[in-house]
Amino acid sequence: MSEEFVFFLYDIATYLLNGITQGSIYALIALGYTMVYGIIKLINFAHGEFYMIGAFIGFYLITSGMPFVPALLIAMIGSGLVAVLIEWIVYRPIRSAGRISALITALGTSLFFQYAGQRVLGADPKAFPQAIKVKTYQIGEIYITNTQIIIFVSTILLMIFLWWLVNKTKIGKAMRATSFDMKAAQLMGINTNQIISFTFFVGAAFAGAAGVLVGLYYNTVEPMMGMIPGLKAFVAAVLGGIGIIPGAVIGGLVLGIAENLVVGLWVSTYRDAIAFAILILILLFKPAGILGENKKEKV
Amino acid sequence: MSQVLKTDAITMQFGGLTAVDSLSLEINQNDLIGIIGPNGAGKTTAFNMITGHYLPTKGNVFLNNEKINGVRPAVITQKGIARTFQNIRLFKDLTVLDNIRIAAHSRCEYGFFDSIFRTKKFKDYERKIEEEAISLLSIFKMQGYSDHLAKNLPYGMQRRLEIARAMATKPSLLLLDEPAAGMNPNETIELTKLIRWIRDEFKLAILLIEHDMRLVMEVCEKIYVLDYGKTIAVGTPSEIQNNPKVIEAYLGSEGVENE
Amino acid sequence: MDYFLYLTQMCGIFMILAMGLNLINGLCGQFSLGHAGFWAVGAYTGAAFSVFTNLPLPGFIILLIACLLGFITAAIAGLIIGIPCLRLRGDYLAIATLGFGEIIRIIFMNMDSVGGPRGFTDIPKLSNLFWVYFFVVLSIIFCANLIRGGYGRAIISIREDEIAAESMGIQTFKYKTLAFCIGAGMAGLAGVLFAHTTQFISPNNFTFMWSVIILLMIILGGLGSISGAIIGAVILTLLPELLRLLGPTVSEWRMVIYSVLLILLMLAKPTGILGKKEITFSFGKKEKA
Repeated sequence: MSEEFVFFLYDIATYLLNGITQGSIYALIALGYTMVYGIIKLINFAHGEFYMIGAFIGFYLITSGMPFVPALLIAMIGSGLVAVLIEWIVYRPIRSAGRISALITALGTSLFFQYAGQRVLGADPKAFPQAIKVKTYQIGEIYITNTQIIIFVSTILLMIFLWWLVNKTKIGKAMRATSFDMKAAQLMGINTNQIISFTFFVGAAFAGAAGVLVGLYYNTVEPMMGMIPGLKAFVAAVLGGIGIIPGAVIGGLVLGIAENLVVGLWVSTYRDAIAFAILILILLFKPAGILGENKKEKV
Repeated sequence: MSQVLKTDAITMQFGGLTAVDSLSLEINQNDLIGIIGPNGAGKTTAFNMITGHYLPTKGNVFLNNEKINGVRPAVITQKGIARTFQNIRLFKDLTVLDNIRIAAHSRCEYGFFDSIFRTKKFKDYERKIEEEAISLLSIFKMQGYSDHLAKNLPYGMQRRLEIARAMATKPSLLLLDEPAAGMNPNETIELTKLIRWIRDEFKLAILLIEHDMRLVMEVCEKIYVLDYGKTIAVGTPSEIQNNPKVIEAYLGSEGVENE
Repeated sequence: MDYFLYLTQMCGIFMILAMGLNLINGLCGQFSLGHAGFWAVGAYTGAAFSVFTNLPLPGFIILLIACLLGFITAAIAGLIIGIPCLRLRGDYLAIATLGFGEIIRIIFMNMDSVGGPRGFTDIPKLSNLFWVYFFVVLSIIFCANLIRGGYGRAIISIREDEIAAESMGIQTFKYKTLAFCIGAGMAGLAGVLFAHTTQFISPNNFTFMWSVIILLMIILGGLGSISGAIIGAVILTLLPELLRLLGPTVSEWRMVIYSVLLILLMLAKPTGILGKKEITFSFGKKEKA
């Protein structure tokens, strides 16, 4: 093997590693998207903002001296509560008005948090404190940091927790029932409003966790940070099959890896276009996503 | 009598489920034919295959001896099949007149730019369409309602408007999906007369799905019975009424009433 | 005074944009979030024509050619995007058009010949109040005549019930594409006028946020109403200026106020100011649909 080829392989491995890290973040945000869509068929545009809120809660707590893990947990609870509040004030009243009205409302909510955030928190990026000392490990020419490992491991742990929550608990069963048929679930005595609130809470808590992890990884937070990752997480959810929980993970990882490969091997200025190009391709050729089944509209 | 529609053992499968299994229909001009069967027997699926909303998994559909499976629904309508829907699908926020005029649009003789520049051709044709629409409405006893919004009409009249709208496409075959659903007995009797009258007046073939047995037995000359997608009987109303297989499908083999 | 003139022109430009989106979203019922992308296509095409060709012709002829080119290019962009996307429904279409809008912006960001991220400068000031409102009037006549004819009714029937429309012999895909292309073309036209009014355009003029603001205009005025689109455009173009009069703090909260307005509108009166009604000048005559 020529030396050049070896370095090329090292490059590819680095891109893959960065892709997996980024993809884990997308996956965490995508989970909330997919859960909310699965249950009330709403594309919650404001979901990226829960991620931003989580990042800011983490930022303020860690800056004031709190250790990383409790800060992460409080950030998760905090963004979860904001989501519950938003669902209660805004989404619940609009639920019966149709999907497009709900979508526009979600759009408004998203813009509200972005711009209110700019006014209240300041538009400039803030430096995220180094809660955990960065260590770099070297394997050959591949460098891997402990933050990357933390992100990946936290993602895996949260996924397992979610899988357990949805498949093995009573409330998970109620969530599945509500998403399958809301009216029937209601008739069976399930308090669907409570279940929907809970779904928003869990989804937003995951996004909040992603926010804190991203702060740790990129060392910066700002009020507009939720928009692009939010949209990309939506792409990840559609890519994997919207409404399907493992699909969000697969979609997030595929998107993260694809982006980093294209940026690394080709041009970086098109980074944000890749996600949308993937979205359009998937919508055209397999709208149900990687794990979904194609359905036809009933006449 | 010339043949209007022929389906050649059409089959529709959704995943593992066979919704319609080798349905072979033959409909001639002036025929009035019914499809009956318990809920989920595949009646509406059969309609959706004939009108091009579904592509049959197997088998072909012929309209006036021309193969039409794989043709888009709009084109099939232009070739002469019109339909109504089980759950009324009017253009609710538009006027009665507009509902009819939209159905007549596929025969439109003026071009896009005629309509933008409001040429004489446009005005003449619009006047003609409007006159046609109004005379169609008076046939369906809806004169004077042309400015009403479709959603504001009483239920029975909405059903009639849906049939009138289908007729505005000038079909050679009219498909009615449960036209009497939700009607009271008086309205159903009116409808029975109307269906027969449409057939005689416009010299077309009618294929209808219906749950109201009185209407089906009274108006149809030939009936197909579907059960779990299979055609279990074909015949005249009196033959069907005495067919043991049909009775079993409707009442269940143990005689438990389920409809 | 100059600023007042500029604002009046911007009102007109947004009227054209809003009428175009109203055709796609309000009349045909196809939810598009990529309108700013078509606006950008028109703006860049028109500006590139007048800057690079530098023809020895009177200014207004150059402007008219640029407008024509801007309309056609944006309509073609609409065709290219519409053919794959218009098979999608509702929220999926919204996201796909959003994606395309962003891709268009990123492409301009990467085009060095038109300034890339720095923006396109030194565009001649060929547009003026007369030409902007000339095209506004033309657009109003176009849209009004369209909806009063068979083609417009066919487009509206798709909004009402796509499956029923198809069953009535309306080739829904064809009419959706038609509405989408014309709407995109109108956005392109507005783009040409915009470029030759402000004399400077950059990819940041055409962000997703502007697609939302144009959408807000037509929702505010009433989806499906031409007069509503015009009223909505005027209100949302002048609102930031009024907020500025109330003090610098209030105007900084502009986007926050917009987003709250959007949410409140959806919660309180999803049909907008005019609903589907039109303001007409023929008194006593009841407007149909």
